[in-house]
Amino acid sequence: MKKILLLSCALLLSSTAHSQLRVVASTTNMAMLANTVGGTQVSVTHLAPPDRDAHHLAVRPSMMTALRQADLLVSVGAELEAGWLMPALQGAGNPKLNPGQLGYFEAAAQVTLIDPQPQADRSQGDVHPTGNPHIYLDPPRLARAGLALAEAMAALAPEHGDYFRHNAASFAEQVDTQLPHWQSLTQNAAGVLLYHADANYLARLLSVPVLGYMEPLPGIPPSGRHLSQLVSNLKGKAGVLIMPTYQPARAATLIEQELGWPVIVLPSNVAAGGTSDDYLALIKRWAQAFAAAQKPAGNPQ
Amino acid sequence: MNARIFPLAAMTAGILLVGAAQANNEATNTNPAIDSTGVDRARISAGTQMNPTISVILDGVYANFSREVEGPAGFGSHDHGDDHDHEHEHGLEEGFSLRETEISVSASIDNYLDGVMTLAIEGNSGIKVEEAYILTRSLPAGLQIKAGRFLSDIGYINRQHPHDWQFADRPLVSELLFGEHGLQDNGMQLSWLPSTSFYSRYGIEILQGETTMASQDVHETLEEDHGPRLYTAFAKFAPDLGMNHAAMFGFSGGISTSFKKEEEHDDEVELWEGDGWFAGIDAVYKYNSGKPFGHGNWIVQGEYYFREISAEFTEIENQIIEEQFSGRSKQDGFYLQALYGFAPRWSTGLRVDGVGLTNTSLEPGNDAFESFDASYRYAAQVSFAPTEFSRLRLQVNNYDYAHDDGDHGHDAWGVMLQYNVSLGAHGAHQF
Ligand SMILES: [Zn+2]
Repeated sequence: MKKILLLSCALLLSSTAHSQLRVVASTTNMAMLANTVGGTQVSVTHLAPPDRDAHHLAVRPSMMTALRQADLLVSVGAELEAGWLMPALQGAGNPKLNPGQLGYFEAAAQVTLIDPQPQADRSQGDVHPTGNPHIYLDPPRLARAGLALAEAMAALAPEHGDYFRHNAASFAEQVDTQLPHWQSLTQNAAGVLLYHADANYLARLLSVPVLGYMEPLPGIPPSGRHLSQLVSNLKGKAGVLIMPTYQPARAATLIEQELGWPVIVLPSNVAAGGTSDDYLALIKRWAQAFAAAQKPAGNPQ
Repeated sequence: MNARIFPLAAMTAGILLVGAAQANNEATNTNPAIDSTGVDRARISAGTQMNPTISVILDGVYANFSREVEGPAGFGSHDHGDDHDHEHEHGLEEGFSLRETEISVSASIDNYLDGVMTLAIEGNSGIKVEEAYILTRSLPAGLQIKAGRFLSDIGYINRQHPHDWQFADRPLVSELLFGEHGLQDNGMQLSWLPSTSFYSRYGIEILQGETTMASQDVHETLEEDHGPRLYTAFAKFAPDLGMNHAAMFGFSGGISTSFKKEEEHDDEVELWEGDGWFAGIDAVYKYNSGKPFGHGNWIVQGEYYFREISAEFTEIENQIIEEQFSGRSKQDGFYLQALYGFAPRWSTGLRVDGVGLTNTSLEPGNDAFESFDASYRYAAQVSFAPTEFSRLRLQVNNYDYAHDDGDHGHDAWGVMLQYNVSLGAHGAHQF
């Protein structure tokens, strides 16, 4: 009898597990968004570890296994993951996730992108022609994408539509509540030197000038010539260098020595399994990092 | 806009407008940049709208050999001491040579099909259709059908285009057992990816049989058997090794229902008629260090194939049968290679090639097919890839080929300097 009870319990559990939407997120930020919006009605896996450059990832068979079993794919989009997600998707043979189907969701397609470069060619580096795809470092845009994601999930599981919409709306509310706080942190921020153009949305949102990029061109590692040019351009100015976790620190030390700027290494994704609180905390860390270099007093711009 | 997509797009657009209006009310107005107008709410993808995807691969080599390299014994054309042209390596001449210029176009035809076409302009010998196939995109249960001309999914390297290789040249076993383009044929493929936590993929192919084992090299005496003549099957397994490691193991095999070959020399005609089969195993392991630009990454891969052709050999001179016997040609080969990213954007690799470890060829001897020694090739390369779109490679080969006359004194060295660039779309690299 006990056995039967246990068995039926297990069956019940497994059947509830199956009624959940199976979501595959390209990055851990997207997994955070899917978990935030989907709550208890989704089970989410991610493909790119948080400490990797999502532009460049190698396809793994386990990606195809995950995509094969998924009901919904949540990606950043705007070609950010094109090099590995499209072949993985093709290899997975899951028609539910084909672009145009209900199971395909690109966050970047839900919002306006900044800096589109339709005229760009590859001599300008690995540019993103439709605009900057790194919207995950822009809480209001991500919240907007969350609202759209709620509708995408609602289309797949209409019985939980209101639940998804409620979750997405409360995430957007959280972002709105935090925004003035972040903005107050960066009120007098002098400016930031980025490695790649991935925090431009956040810098705009918090009115922090972007003073330059360590990459001479998108996707190209820093060259000595580019660095010395940066140093001569920025000499005497105040600023902070923010480096991604996956790039070597060597080039950063030159900026540190030559300009005397603080160098802060920050992840751009929440840890695996990260929640919306972790995400908001990450954005706060970025805001604090922006604030690490203040405008000289009595010299408001 | 595609009629299939329109209702969905309209729905999404409506939803988004509502969402946007809502967000507007809720104090996101602090940043004017967000609410700039002109965004196409009906978009499904924010990616490139370019459809079809077009890319062009340019590939050139400067090669230098210490001496003339003749093909490994037992795999070449039947030598009667005539003045045969001995190529160095496939498509490689001493000095500068332009290799395959590949033009690849792919697109979604509709919701049901993708289309892929790759043309290869080979040096100066004309245009060849490398691949031209349609692939289903909406079959249920993890099933996919491919039809047209394509690279077979047997083994690991066979389906890769030359610009995906880690070395400048194709492994000997692939070239000598399947053809100078590998197993590339017209036909159909059915594959299945079951929905399990463990990756596995199974497939069968029905092919016309243009390549070695099912080829019909007939002239005046023999008649061609109609196709399809080659049936293959493959299975691939990949355990989930986490984010940093990946491995795949494959098994493949095939049956040829007809092999025919005819050679004429003055008054003499030689005929082969039979059938054949092959079987092989392949394995690949990849380590991703997480460092940028491939630094610290490893790729180790290897394949082994065995091929048997049972054939009746007949030699006819002035309409009289001079010699006739039945025999089995049994040949095999392997390669094993390792690649290591020793610095950002730099990688180095070593490869060992071996063919004819079992080497009963199709060369007629005394009432039986002749056997030869094994041949080996050793390669080392260093590559620099400034971006994912360009690569420079320096490769050194050492050829230790057995010769037809049993003589082994034919060691040779080769040096190749290769460039390989792609124009257009992002390369989509399968595992
Ligand atoms: Zn980028």
